[in-house]
Amino acid sequence: MSVLAEKTTPAVAVPRRSFSEFALRLRVSGVLAFLFITGLIFSLLTPQFLTVQNASAIASNAAILSIVAAAQAIVLLTRNVDVSVGSMMGLTAYLTADYAARHPNVGAELVLLALVIGLVLGTINGLLVAYGRVSSLIATLATMSLYRGFTYMYAHGQEVTSNKLPRWMLHSVDLRFWGIPMLVVICILVVTLVATFLRHYPIGRRIYAVGSNPLASVFYGLRIQRVVLLAYGLGGLLCGFAGLLYAARVGTVTVILASGWEMSSLAAAVIGGVSVTGGSGTVIGAALGALVLATIDNGLVLLGIPEFWRMFIQGSSIVAAAAVDVFIGVRIRKALQGQRFARRAA
Amino acid sequence: MKRRWNWRLSQWEMMLAILTLAAGVWSAQLSPYYLNLDQIADSTRQFIFPGLLALGLMIVVVLGEIDISLASTLAVGSVLFSKFSACHVQVWFAFPIVIVVCGFLGALNGVLVAGLRLPSLAVTLGTMGAYRGLAFIIGSEKGYTDFDDSYLWVGSERVLGDIMPVSFILFVIVSLVVGFIMHFTVFGRRCFAVGHNKDAAWFSGIKVQTLKIQAYALAGALAALAALVWVGQYGSARGDNADGAILFVVTAVVLGGVDINGGKGTVLGVVLALFLLGTIRNGMGLANIAGPTQTVVLGGLLIIGVLLPVLSAVASHIRHFLPRRATPK
Amino acid sequence: MSDNLASLPALRVNGISKSYGVSRALVDVSFDILRGRVHALVGENGAGKSTLVKIITGIIQADSGQIFVGSNPVRFQTPIEARTAGIGAVYQDPKLFAHLDVAENIFMGAYPTTIAGTVDRKTMYERAALGLRQLGLDLDPRSLIAGLSVAELQFVEIARALLADLQLLILDEPTSALTPAESERLFKIIRTLRDRDKSVLLITHRLEEVEAIADDITILRDGRHVATRPAKQINRAALVQMMVGRPIETLFARRQSEGLGKEILRVERLGLVGQFTDVSFSLRAGEIVGMAGLVGAGRSEIAQSLFGIRPPSTGRVYLNGRHVVPRGPNQMLRLGLAYLPEDRDGQGLILPESIVDNVTLPIVGRLAHMGILNRASERQVAAGATATYDVKATSIEQPVSSLSGGNRQKVAFAKWLATKPTALILDEPTHGIDIGSKAQVHRIIIDLADSGLGVLLISSDLPELLAVSDRILVIAEGRLVSEFSRGEATQEKVMMAATQDVRGLAE
Repeated sequence: MSVLAEKTTPAVAVPRRSFSEFALRLRVSGVLAFLFITGLIFSLLTPQFLTVQNASAIASNAAILSIVAAAQAIVLLTRNVDVSVGSMMGLTAYLTADYAARHPNVGAELVLLALVIGLVLGTINGLLVAYGRVSSLIATLATMSLYRGFTYMYAHGQEVTSNKLPRWMLHSVDLRFWGIPMLVVICILVVTLVATFLRHYPIGRRIYAVGSNPLASVFYGLRIQRVVLLAYGLGGLLCGFAGLLYAARVGTVTVILASGWEMSSLAAAVIGGVSVTGGSGTVIGAALGALVLATIDNGLVLLGIPEFWRMFIQGSSIVAAAAVDVFIGVRIRKALQGQRFARRAA
Repeated sequence: MKRRWNWRLSQWEMMLAILTLAAGVWSAQLSPYYLNLDQIADSTRQFIFPGLLALGLMIVVVLGEIDISLASTLAVGSVLFSKFSACHVQVWFAFPIVIVVCGFLGALNGVLVAGLRLPSLAVTLGTMGAYRGLAFIIGSEKGYTDFDDSYLWVGSERVLGDIMPVSFILFVIVSLVVGFIMHFTVFGRRCFAVGHNKDAAWFSGIKVQTLKIQAYALAGALAALAALVWVGQYGSARGDNADGAILFVVTAVVLGGVDINGGKGTVLGVVLALFLLGTIRNGMGLANIAGPTQTVVLGGLLIIGVLLPVLSAVASHIRHFLPRRATPK
Repeated sequence: MSDNLASLPALRVNGISKSYGVSRALVDVSFDILRGRVHALVGENGAGKSTLVKIITGIIQADSGQIFVGSNPVRFQTPIEARTAGIGAVYQDPKLFAHLDVAENIFMGAYPTTIAGTVDRKTMYERAALGLRQLGLDLDPRSLIAGLSVAELQFVEIARALLADLQLLILDEPTSALTPAESERLFKIIRTLRDRDKSVLLITHRLEEVEAIADDITILRDGRHVATRPAKQINRAALVQMMVGRPIETLFARRQSEGLGKEILRVERLGLVGQFTDVSFSLRAGEIVGMAGLVGAGRSEIAQSLFGIRPPSTGRVYLNGRHVVPRGPNQMLRLGLAYLPEDRDGQGLILPESIVDNVTLPIVGRLAHMGILNRASERQVAAGATATYDVKATSIEQPVSSLSGGNRQKVAFAKWLATKPTALILDEPTHGIDIGSKAQVHRIIIDLADSGLGVLLISSDLPELLAVSDRILVIAEGRLVSEFSRGEATQEKVMMAATQDVRGLAE
């Protein structure tokens, strides 16, 4: 290639791997490292931790959360938040379980029902935020209550017990694929699908772009509103699916199913490296974050530490992760702004 | 004379007052029990502790930030009270300490937001969980109900011929104080300025960071006050106190005409919104409307509250495009 | 090169005018940009260059006039439309996505896709690498934007612009953050484009660059078109003359000052990494010191650094004889230094608030009794200020946003002067206000100096500086390059000093 002859040596050597890039890549490996260390600590503290059975339990617990964390991650990527994820799960779970109870011969269309309900709920969020210009916290705070309230109203205080649910539903989550719980397999599949979508499809890349630089997105004609609507819709879809899985797993669907999952999903996502300021992070990271949370939970249980420490840890980790992300973000911004007279000034 | 009293805002407040009356009428129709002075006075209790939180939230929102951890701070306060009561400490001794602690928790929010420049949404989402967990850790699972009488006085007693709850009087006093602070002091003035345009405020010599920390601390202190009311009203303290109350609080602030982006709002508006929400809730309760349905209504009100400015903007846009085609450009 | 097809201009601007309220940014501007030529657009600050480019690329709309691409009249509503028509612009502030890699930034919105609809990464990286190589860049398309230098960011933007089939590439001050070597690389790219019969519109203040690479030059002045000539026909002196030549308004000539007071402000070897370096000057009571320079030279940065917005990294500041370390506006205001920001509406005033509230914001504490607002005093101060500065308003309670630009500026003045400073820094105080108010503002400045204040006047309005200042400091690319006294300063001299290339100067 003759172009090599054209190449002029730069006046100043340009760092190929700058700190920011390093730091970004570090985040994912950081999660893994954290996971490893946590696992190590717990295995030292209690003998029951390091067993296949226990690992399987952790994975199962993490599985559903990882899907919800992925949903949260998608929304976070666009610089928004969704605190209604738990309520979306709950409403979907109840509606589908109730439907199944009334139609005992229902087949796989139950899954479709869950997806559709989730999609609708998520789209409502998206419409409020993207087109109603409502701040995402307030909008999803409102829908969180609305959806949960609807669940209550619909249920009239009844719960759907497991004997009313179709057997295939309950059994499928207990299946094992070469020893790995079906639940985990499903979740790995789903997360992989979502990750592929975000990474390899132009619409997925636009989700990153919108969160990374909304101003530039306008300039590039990226139609921010549609992208945000899509993000919320997709998130709702995933939450709906997660709700169904959760119903299948616990068997008895109550009206308070999945309350509090907004905090967990957020914690999982930010621990996994998804930035609250948008534009960076992966759903794989969010899934890993779910795994971290599940590991911590498990360890706490085994050690007999009360459950509410978990809330404390989750909350603190959100703050800590936000701090780390802002730190990295500042570096990125500084690098982008550049310096006017970088090599001349004092 | 209240400052920031421009025509549009007092329109809003008048509307709130009218709606409250309408809600009252509706409640009276729904249930024969409503129109009873005793009942009405007692029903005000429902919004006292969220009201105190809402006053604190208002200060932070006017500044242009948000704080959804206030309900959790209240829980920390209430379990702290329980600890003091268990040690038979007098309430007037425990109270200042709890205020300091909760104020400190608020200031911590402020430091994270103003000092470290973290987004207030993320911070207070995190501290919402962290403080809640802290409340559980301090308070233990069971919850405490064996309060000394002195702790219960504020939240449960009534005066003036056994009709007016003490907590209501407290609320009125606090509202007046906060209203005074926000509309008549240097501090309040600076909060509004920062909420409108924090760059211009900084250029004008306002110490924006310090102001934010102070505002958050004040909100935390008010949460401590709310905790005292809670303790008296419900006679118990546990880590999950006021869990979920934040929806009511945010709705009150938004419906009260406080601009979520900062710079605009009145204490009067928030107070009126609280009365409105309280009346609606009271009416619904008397009509035996289930709690969850009430939550749905609340959520709906919140959405309407935030959509109103958008809808009115859309409406004015439409008006803009309607018959004005007299002369081409 | 010359046949009928090529004689059609790549872009024709015809009678373009644009006004913002009273200020006329462009007045009947017409000229052609020919195919395969590098066309430089020069003019002082405020001459209208940026406005014109924004109109061409569709960011804003002209009030009147027409733009032709080839022989077709066009009216772009968005930059995307302009891009589709073959016109792309690269600005100084990078519009890039920090979290994505180079190739994605280049192709965002126009990804090559596979049959399955996924992003064809292989093709994307190949094409990106090819494009970058053609620009002479040794840059891995997979590298993250966040890790790149300023120059590389600029080149990525150019690569993105070139991605579409561009006929006209517009570059807005592209070399302001580049080293000589990087600039040379940029010029190579520009020359390559020219050889491929593309046109380049280069906005620059670096006259030596204009001399090095431009084929044609268009000069704008005060929103009007002065001339368009082949570069060969103009020399530097003539160029400067056309950029600034205008009669100086002697209406507001300053009377000779009585005598200057003691030194209020002294700055020694002030520097801020990346912004300016080795700036030293002093300001005496009763003196008006003008600070001239091009946009981006660093004047506002120096002023804001003194005010504590971004504290200096080196150097010393002496205020009223005492050494101070600027830490923030609150501190500097209390010490007697006030700064009126260039961004009047965004940083100087709070538009939704009333005149009273704006004027008294910095001094509410001083006027208050134990923290309680003293509304009566505030109204008094505001009423007094409104009268003194002749602010045309119906009431001091009306919001500042309802005032005209000139009156807003007067309110801003009132605000800072209410803090009773000893030194006042004004950053473009007459920018965007009408002639009548300008005259009033000049009067205010002169009166202030006469009453003992020291005034540092940053302005891009050369006649204004010459009329009002006792001395003029010239800042170019972060350095203080010249100082002119009243007698010796002329518009040409100041502009020459402001446009010189400082990169050759010793560190």
